[in-house]
Amino acid sequence: MTVAPQTAFAPRAPIKSAEAVDPVYRQIRDLVYRVSGIYKAEEKLYLLADGCARRMNQLRSRTPREYWDHLTAQPGHNGELRNLLNEITIGETCLFRSQPQLDALRKVILPEIVAEKSKQTTRRLRIWSAGCSTGEEPYTLAMNMLEENEKLLKGWTVEIFATDLNDRSVDTAKAGIYGDYALRNTTTYFKHKYFSAVDEKKLQVHPAVKKLITFRRLNLQNDSEMLFMKAMDLIFCCNVLIYFDGASKSKVVNHFFKNLNFGGYFFLGTSESLMNLNDQFHLIHFPGSIAYWKPSLSNAKL
Amino acid sequence: MTANVTATIRERVQRIETMPAIPAVFLPLLKMLASSTEEVRVDEVVRLVSYDNAIAAQCLRVASSPLFGLAQLPQSIKGAVISLGLRRVETILLTCCLGQAFPAGKWSLDPDVFWRHSLGCALVCRKFSEKLAAADREKAYTAGLLHDLGFMVNCQAFSEEFSVAMERACREEIPLHQAELATMGFTHCETGRALAEKWGLADDVVEVIAHHHAIEQSQKAQPLVALVHLSDLLCRMRGLGYGYYERHKLNLISDPAWAILLKEHCDLEGVDLVRFTFELDDAVEEIRTLVSTVFG
Repeated sequence: MTVAPQTAFAPRAPIKSAEAVDPVYRQIRDLVYRVSGIYKAEEKLYLLADGCARRMNQLRSRTPREYWDHLTAQPGHNGELRNLLNEITIGETCLFRSQPQLDALRKVILPEIVAEKSKQTTRRLRIWSAGCSTGEEPYTLAMNMLEENEKLLKGWTVEIFATDLNDRSVDTAKAGIYGDYALRNTTTYFKHKYFSAVDEKKLQVHPAVKKLITFRRLNLQNDSEMLFMKAMDLIFCCNVLIYFDGASKSKVVNHFFKNLNFGGYFFLGTSESLMNLNDQFHLIHFPGSIAYWKPSLSNAKL
Repeated sequence: MTANVTATIRERVQRIETMPAIPAVFLPLLKMLASSTEEVRVDEVVRLVSYDNAIAAQCLRVASSPLFGLAQLPQSIKGAVISLGLRRVETILLTCCLGQAFPAGKWSLDPDVFWRHSLGCALVCRKFSEKLAAADREKAYTAGLLHDLGFMVNCQAFSEEFSVAMERACREEIPLHQAELATMGFTHCETGRALAEKWGLADDVVEVIAHHHAIEQSQKAQPLVALVHLSDLLCRMRGLGYGYYERHKLNLISDPAWAILLKEHCDLEGVDLVRFTFELDDAVEEIRTLVSTVFG
């Protein structure tokens, strides 16, 4: 008697290196890019494969090809795509997440905005962290602005608005207490200067940093709340747009465009892009990062 | 630029030619690259390469790199010509020869950084031209590879002056050609041009070397110069620059080169620039490996 080959489901081990990538993942990568504007470069493809593996475990799909069907052909495939997007953006939140973005901000954008706005009477810089989650991004921005306090931003008022849909996230953000994982990219210099120890494992952000930030709950889909967030110089909205469908996404992005001052910049997550959501923004490259620019009045017709 | 400076550049470039390290196949190969594919015989290329074992071996290693995407790796130069095509083999050979054309020694610019940028730019030029139906891909690759030839001249013939420029560029985080102009009074565009003309490179490649920082001055090969100009900028924004932070922002679509390129290639409008940028990042690691294979 022959025994039928074992076909029972076995959990997939996480994929660790780029070499193990099945070609189907490249198809999935393209699909994810078409739908969300998120692109996982070849060397990061294993992260996408990891995310897929976790979803495949949940769905008990045996092969990437079978999972591809879940994403494209089977009922509820849109919901599954959202689950996957959740998986691949999870854990991206930490302080100092993208150094190239911060370099662009301090070395290129700030001098430009300061020069531009110095012609005006009010020396005020307004930054919005839209979808701030548990506060890592606004605190990172605040610390970097404080670093410029005695230099570029001498005599300037900096206001940072940090909003999230989730009340609990906003409360956690307000507390400003972080462990090793969230602080993995934070240098000793910043830890010493802007944090105090809460216990052996956790650090809390100094009140001087918190003072720069206004935390509140805000729904990006609520038009009247969005209209309220006016005259921003910089808007950061990382890994948030993925939660919206096409129409709401473009509505939110159009709001952001209006919320920005002329000459202001809009930043997304490091592997995110706007695709064709708004053709008024100009795509700008900085060393190692991209951003979207609302042309200044003199350039508006470009 | 004064006549005096031009004369100094010529005179010092003249001396470079007396250096021993240029592989024998290099100049005949450049001549071949300047002629049309129909005029070049496969046997001739194979014969030329077989003169130099080191070059032949290196050429095969590069041809086997994933950058060229061959399913079956070529075992001989002839095999490489057949599977990759003549033009491509020529550009690979050129890459290898160039690595040997200048001896190791005092470089103000880290040679690895220089080759990564040159090879990166070559590759971006080719990827870019793949999106444009009417563009000559291998010509674009060659132009990208050679566009900064002048930095090699500077390292060899103006090493002291160029170190000052390099140091200033790093300190002030400004583009290298601006630092050259501020400290030396001329740039790698002029020194590169002098060598390119001495070597008898094709006119359009000379144009690229001379004008990739000032496209409006280009008379004969504007679209090619524009393509290299944009690829060069993109490389510098995506980790394949000159090894230091440049305080620079790039708005590709409002760059004058974009309009020039668009006039020649209307399909440029359809290029998804964000995706193109992300894909470029895919190649960075590959280029690092390739540079250590070829020039290491």
